[in-house]
Amino acid sequence: MVEFLNQNQMFIVLIITLLIWSGIILLLVRIDTRIAQIEKRLKKDE
Amino acid sequence: MKIIKYLSIACITCVIVAGIAIPMVPQPHSWLEFPVIPGLEDKARNIFFHVPVAWASVLGFLVALYYGFRYLRSKDLDDDLKSVSSAGLGTMFCVLATVTGSLWAKFNWGSFWNWDPRETSIFILLLIYGAYFALRSALGSDEVRARLSAVYSILAGLTAPFFIFIMPRIVGGLHPGAKGDTAGSTPVAQLHMSPNMRFIFFMGIIGFSLLFVWLLNMRIRVARIEYHLSKNEN
Repeated sequence: MVEFLNQNQMFIVLIITLLIWSGIILLLVRIDTRIAQIEKRLKKDE
Repeated sequence: MKIIKYLSIACITCVIVAGIAIPMVPQPHSWLEFPVIPGLEDKARNIFFHVPVAWASVLGFLVALYYGFRYLRSKDLDDDLKSVSSAGLGTMFCVLATVTGSLWAKFNWGSFWNWDPRETSIFILLLIYGAYFALRSALGSDEVRARLSAVYSILAGLTAPFFIFIMPRIVGGLHPGAKGDTAGSTPVAQLHMSPNMRFIFFMGIIGFSLLFVWLLNMRIRVARIEYHLSKNEN
């Protein structure tokens, strides 16, 4: 694997881009979960 | 906010496409070619992603400092919500910068972690902000929590520029820009890149800064609603 990545360095760039992308997605999922919880609480209040 | 949102998406999309698709050649003749940077080769493209993420984390810590300071002056809990949302986002970007930097280190320096000054300083920053969230979760009263974490975020925010910009430059190390580094620093740390690389790099910095503003805005709005809901329930 390390040997492959050493010979195909574009894949390292790809992995780094995907890591950042997954971090941003994780943040968005967290915000989505918090909004869903708010909606639940609002429904309960009604 | 709409403009910020679309501009950040546009900038980051351009950076991803240009940063990956533009070929690297030894002697570039057009704007659509990057020069090969000796020692980095294709890995040099990581500059477009790794550095803007680290920049966004500094932005997060500085904005947390600013709102911490504002809280101490205004005693408005809304400023505390802004400060903690920003510190959370900064920590998230800091983790991403650490992980991406560590992966890059594996292929440039030989191992994932080398205790280089830059790595050590980002590790200390992560510890500082880990302690910040531990402190917040340990305190019950809203006012006490807000006051203590405002003071903490100011102290932590003041150390962030030192750990990111100063400390790694005054000590010798592996990272570009370290003291005594002549070979690796020119294209990267001193921004002596070719004009097209520099353009894409700054587009990445602007794109991630705008993304930070957009994400921060969303987090603050959600935190504000959560706070008002819990207040109404009590």
